[in-house]
Amino acid sequence: MRLLPYAAVALLLCASATIAQTPDLAQRQAEAAAALAEQQEEETVLAEGEGRSEVFGYCTACHNTALIRRSAFTRERWDELMDWMAEKHGMNPLEGEFRTSIVDYLARHYGPRARGPRGGNPFLN
Amino acid sequence: MANQKQPERSIQELYRDDPERADALVWGRRGALQGAALAAMGTALGAAIPFARHMPGGLVPAALAQGATQPQFLQMEGKASLIMQGERPLNAETPEHLLDDPITPADKFFIRNNGNVPDRVADPRAWKIRIDGEVNTPIELSIAELEQRFEVVTRRLQMECGGNGRSGFSPQAAGNQWGNGAISNAEWTGVRLRDVLRAAGVKDSAKFTGQHGADTHLSAQGPAISRGMRIEKAMDEDTLICFRMNGAAIPQMHGAPARLIVPGWPGSLSQKWFTRLEVLNAPHTGRGMGGTSYRIPVRPIVPGSRNNGADFVDMESMPVRSVLSSHAHGTRLPAGTRSLDIRGHAWAGDLSVRDMHVSTDFGQSWQAMQLDAPPNRHSWQRWQGRIALPSDGYYEIWYRATDSNGRMQPHVAANWNPQGYGANPISRVAILIG
Repeated sequence: MRLLPYAAVALLLCASATIAQTPDLAQRQAEAAAALAEQQEEETVLAEGEGRSEVFGYCTACHNTALIRRSAFTRERWDELMDWMAEKHGMNPLEGEFRTSIVDYLARHYGPRARGPRGGNPFLN
Repeated sequence: MANQKQPERSIQELYRDDPERADALVWGRRGALQGAALAAMGTALGAAIPFARHMPGGLVPAALAQGATQPQFLQMEGKASLIMQGERPLNAETPEHLLDDPITPADKFFIRNNGNVPDRVADPRAWKIRIDGEVNTPIELSIAELEQRFEVVTRRLQMECGGNGRSGFSPQAAGNQWGNGAISNAEWTGVRLRDVLRAAGVKDSAKFTGQHGADTHLSAQGPAISRGMRIEKAMDEDTLICFRMNGAAIPQMHGAPARLIVPGWPGSLSQKWFTRLEVLNAPHTGRGMGGTSYRIPVRPIVPGSRNNGADFVDMESMPVRSVLSSHAHGTRLPAGTRSLDIRGHAWAGDLSVRDMHVSTDFGQSWQAMQLDAPPNRHSWQRWQGRIALPSDGYYEIWYRATDSNGRMQPHVAANWNPQGYGANPISRVAILIG
């Protein structure tokens, strides 16, 4: 019974400690996330072709190329996404020849594909 | 002899490049795989297919129905090897076999960001949350004050990305190509949002909410995301302002020092780095509201067609779904294995799960699994059972949950929409015996 006050103190200490993740780990995770976001990509990570430089330059202003590389859309859907990004995500609207070259590139190299987005056959490696 | 070798090579290539044509070539008119083609399919998969006679026509085996590239994995201190969906914004999915814990630990919690991850704050207990709008008295309280003034509750709550299952849609829908792994079921501690709302005095005009957090948009223009819900969900006993996860501080990646948890509804409502909730008399108009965002068609639309979402409705309770967590997709087991104990979890948004079934013969027959009751409302449920494997070879375990209203996971993703919400088709794990 004499231990109870000590237990209560220990509990209180625990309670205050659990409101903050180990400060160092919290900061390191935030920094790790920032480092991932700031990772410099090479343009060559995208498929080679006319319009690649324009696509790489314009799109990676906001997001990295993972969003492009995972995608498999028709030209019409890519075109629609240009409007969506302008309307919903503050992208400078794309128009004219520049828009055409970007959408053409995306549709040509990141068009519908036969297989899904995930790994290969686990039994064929 | 040369002719017989040809299909062994081409069948994989055909499935990879043009599955419709491959099906036309491979599957007979009766939908049965025929002699040489069956042998070729078995060779392609590396094993005999014991239940080949039951494979429906037009079905690509799970082991083949995958992408051409291997997934990449996250490497971050304090996080497991999650499937990387993208670095900017940072998004990562928990592989199903890492979802075996009844309470999802921090390292296995999926990562979903719309914008930038904020830096750690120096004094978490001083973090302030404001409630304003259609209330009698706007209030602003620190975490310390919230904890002192309101009842603190702890609940196991599912929190799932609104786009979980998106990769099931065909044609592809825009967004992270999640499998089933954008789901978590941590033990959350916090205060009920409704208690705080009542303290502020909710007016009769209060019909909706608008949530705000501290993360910024990738374009540096405004907030990353700001979504809202009907006031009824805000007043649900399980909608919490949380400041602890699994008895510890909320990890930075998951919204420290305080976040909303709105269980069973799209995860984007569970605002991370939560700072403010507006009570509104009309639907919120923040980023992530309206159009096709977190909205689904009422009148089904043609898959792949253009639509501005004007007559869609906001996605609310998430659809029934299940994971198989005891065995990874692609597990190889010793020759002679004739039975397997399997388990996983199932959940159904605001509802519960009534039944869990598995099939090892491509849906020809289904076997009921044992299903536990949830420890509390809005928690996922454990399922488990034993399956028989009559021979060595290639099997797929199909698993299907049924919600408390009797709705089952469908065979294919239903109600296609441009941004891909609500896909909950039956999942398939491929295993190889011998």
